[in-house]
Amino acid sequence: MKVLKFLGALTVGSLLSAAASAQTVVRWLHIEPNPGAIRLWEETARDFEAKNPGVKIEMSFLENEAFKARLPTMLQSRDKPHIIYSWAGGVLKAQVEAGVLEEITPQVREHMAGLAPGAVGAFTLNGRIWGVPHAVSQVGFMYNKELMTKAGVDGDAIKTWDAFLDAVRKLKAAGITPIMVGGGDKWPLHFYWTHLAVRLGGKPAFEAALRGENGGFEGPVFQRAGDMMKELVDLQPFQNGFLGTRNPQAVGAFGDGRAAMILAISSFYATQRALSANKEGIPDDKLGWFNFPAVPGGQGLPTDTLGGVNGWLVTKGAPPQAAEFLKHFVSAEVQTRLAAGGFLIPVAKGADTGLRAAFLQNIARNIGASTYHQNFYDQDLGPSVGRVVNDATSELAGGTMNPRQVAKAIQDAFRQGN
Amino acid sequence: MQAVTLASPAPDPRRRSFDASGKLTVALLFLPPAVLLFTIFVMLPIGEAAWYSGYNWNGFGPPRNWVGLDNYRFVFDNRAFGIAFRNNILIIVVSLVVQLPLAMALAIILAETFRGAVALRMLFFLPYILAEIATGLIFSFVYDGDYGLLAAICRLFGVEAPHLLASPQTSMLAILIVVVWKYFGFHMMLFIAALQGLDKNLIEAARIDGATRWQMLRFVILPLLKPAIKLSVFFAIIGSLQLFDLIMPLTRGGPADSSQTIVSFLYNFGVTRMRIGFGSAVGVILFVGCVVFAFSYKRWVLRDE
Amino acid sequence: MSDLSHASSRFDPVTFYKALFLLAVALFVATPLVATVLGGFKSLGELRTNPFGLPLNWEMEHYASILFSWRYWELLRNSLIIATLATTLTLIVASMAAFVFAHVAFFGSKMLLSYITLGLLFPAATAILPLFIKVRDLGLLDSYMGVVLPQVAFGLAFSILLFRRFFKDIPHELLEAALVDGCSYANFYRYVTLPLSRPILATVGTIAFVQSWNSYLIPLVMLNSESLYPWPLGIMIYQGEFSAEWHLILAFITLTILPTILIFLIAQKHIVAGLTAGAVKG
Repeated sequence: MKVLKFLGALTVGSLLSAAASAQTVVRWLHIEPNPGAIRLWEETARDFEAKNPGVKIEMSFLENEAFKARLPTMLQSRDKPHIIYSWAGGVLKAQVEAGVLEEITPQVREHMAGLAPGAVGAFTLNGRIWGVPHAVSQVGFMYNKELMTKAGVDGDAIKTWDAFLDAVRKLKAAGITPIMVGGGDKWPLHFYWTHLAVRLGGKPAFEAALRGENGGFEGPVFQRAGDMMKELVDLQPFQNGFLGTRNPQAVGAFGDGRAAMILAISSFYATQRALSANKEGIPDDKLGWFNFPAVPGGQGLPTDTLGGVNGWLVTKGAPPQAAEFLKHFVSAEVQTRLAAGGFLIPVAKGADTGLRAAFLQNIARNIGASTYHQNFYDQDLGPSVGRVVNDATSELAGGTMNPRQVAKAIQDAFRQGN
Repeated sequence: MQAVTLASPAPDPRRRSFDASGKLTVALLFLPPAVLLFTIFVMLPIGEAAWYSGYNWNGFGPPRNWVGLDNYRFVFDNRAFGIAFRNNILIIVVSLVVQLPLAMALAIILAETFRGAVALRMLFFLPYILAEIATGLIFSFVYDGDYGLLAAICRLFGVEAPHLLASPQTSMLAILIVVVWKYFGFHMMLFIAALQGLDKNLIEAARIDGATRWQMLRFVILPLLKPAIKLSVFFAIIGSLQLFDLIMPLTRGGPADSSQTIVSFLYNFGVTRMRIGFGSAVGVILFVGCVVFAFSYKRWVLRDE
Repeated sequence: MSDLSHASSRFDPVTFYKALFLLAVALFVATPLVATVLGGFKSLGELRTNPFGLPLNWEMEHYASILFSWRYWELLRNSLIIATLATTLTLIVASMAAFVFAHVAFFGSKMLLSYITLGLLFPAATAILPLFIKVRDLGLLDSYMGVVLPQVAFGLAFSILLFRRFFKDIPHELLEAALVDGCSYANFYRYVTLPLSRPILATVGTIAFVQSWNSYLIPLVMLNSESLYPWPLGIMIYQGEFSAEWHLILAFITLTILPTILIFLIAQKHIVAGLTAGAVKG
């Protein structure tokens, strides 16, 4: 009985403390692991609170994979966070259809004029705005200049798939781990298959596959992407135990100089420092970047890019202050500051002037000049199909599926829509 | 006992005629909480699993998209499910072939009383009461390629540390070792409890008849322990079928699904993807497996007890 | 082995091999545990060079930083609340039902008992998705009760059986005498059965507590707010955050399994009795 009384006291206590604060709390769930970025975000939140008395922004963190695993159940609970992270695409579409998001068109429409139209478009469905973009990114090879030079490879000169495979061979011969990859999280491996498909077929192939033409994702372009990925896998280019390495570990290990290359999202520029053992990572002068190499006979243009459009969604029932905060968060001023810190490629017009690092300026130019910016497949194809792309491509890397099985698994999932 | 006479209040005269002893009242008041809880949170969900498994449904709105038995077909077509099934069998086999003999040997030694026997029993039982999550984390440290104990042992012998958990070929081996580590103590305790309940005279008689140690074991102790062995096998199999918590901190079912179990498959492919229909189909398959096993075990193996 | 004085006077190879075997198993079991506890006192660098031995340099700050963090105590508080609620509910609900099954014969009693016994046959995982939907529809997602009620429900079958067996051993004459004296069934339960049942209450209570304390899948699916997480969820988050900083993770593991080990040492009799209860025929 004493125990029950004690429990009763506990619940009453927590109720009282909640009631005592009569302010609006905006719960913001993010997945940013970089303490440097978080410091700036927190400043922004405190800023907003100062300008809007009675509002409190509460930040909480979930690791990327944990976030994705948890999101579906979380969105069904009453106490869901008000602002959640998003990669747009089919996952966003499924969330909209499920009715778990708050439409924010009236609140943010005018403000969106100050952001890059492509990024805003990713969060707009049928003319209705469901989220606020805050960064764009490109997928490509980040490399360690020192290690490449040691093996006699010039990273900047890698323009074709063959040159790339050649570089892998040379690195191996020199006893250097050619590529670091977080295969345990699966999606870092799906970049290979996806980007090969982008290079091989370009935008037309992807759109045809969505319409189910040319054999869909079982068509020749995607089979070929699997074959070429297998060519790479057969060289055993990845670190020992790559199928068990989580992405943050892999990025950190690259920052520690334990491999020559990593097929990276451009934002790894900052995270490879934050996650490296000495928190410094590879300094700018030793860090290189080359775009994903061209493939023989590919229909895609060298200026086509694979990358993300990242932003924030407001969940159903969130207070209006959530969208207001997001407007503040993607204001040109805040975006410029984040760009200056090297944490992102901004989407606010004019904020790219804040980019100080030549590395990121180069990425921003690539994205600006992109002829076709393909969102990550695992997000774009929706929650179920996307996960199958990740499953199947990591099986290909592990040698447990062949390219045909990969293409078939993905097409099956796509056909089932399940 | 005094409490009975002291504390029982004067019987209510109106109730005396009908249900004087409160027999009916007690049945009507005492049973419903358990029956309701059990029905709402155990039986209904199982029934609903069968119902949902016919739909393609992400949990929002009512289920509408009836797909018949498709979900079952997708489950059986899924390579990872095949691996999960195989792994569950593997766990059962290792439980029977490695864990039970180990537990039995230790039980026979530790059932005797000597200094330290009780302490050793407790030590061996300890892993069983640790949470699976904690155990999994401890062993992900043991197996860690950089900082782990295994890596240190390898360095001692000058060989490169294997990344047991990171390779599809060895991930299950690593998990099986943890399974044995964690559960053999439980089975040992089962056997010790059974051994202590044995008739000492029988064993003494065998000793006097000049039976060797091996003969004693083979012809006296093991047959007497049969009921305990059957129970232990039962627990090993049921335990294998629900193995999940241990998998998550170690491998989450990876790499390349090589260490999925049925429940981790259900979690990774059903829950985190909110494929209610698909996940329910896996649940139903597991349910049928459990029930069929339990009934046939009861009927065929436990029948003489 | 049973007689140490013999072993020392005459060398018995069997005894020697037995001792060797026990030593090997003891090392196999104890090494990971000891290394975990000690690892929390080492620096990351020392963990690598000296994983087994005593720390050269006892670094208290890892343990201290966790013990002085809100987070650790919040996890323990949540686990304590959930496990206490689950245990209390199990004891009340299961003992009441078992009392009826043991002492009141009524039409369908056998069937009802078999119905509840079905719960022994399958784990909560089989129905986890419909269970999630159910808990959601009841508005209990993200609440302690959303975890407690399913845990209790899935533990009921076993608890009721244990209680029933014990209650049946209470001499029937006692009940008859009490009834003649005008004591009602309810009062008999309250004033005779429960006071006599301390050992079984302790056993069932300990099992319910340990199972709830250690459980992972149900809270994983039902809870989303970190402020409600029990420790198994919290420690997984912690590990995700400090993925390579093993000294911190080891300290955290040690501090979270400490309560389990303490409970074990205090209540080992009941735990062993309860968890191996199936071995005793009933």
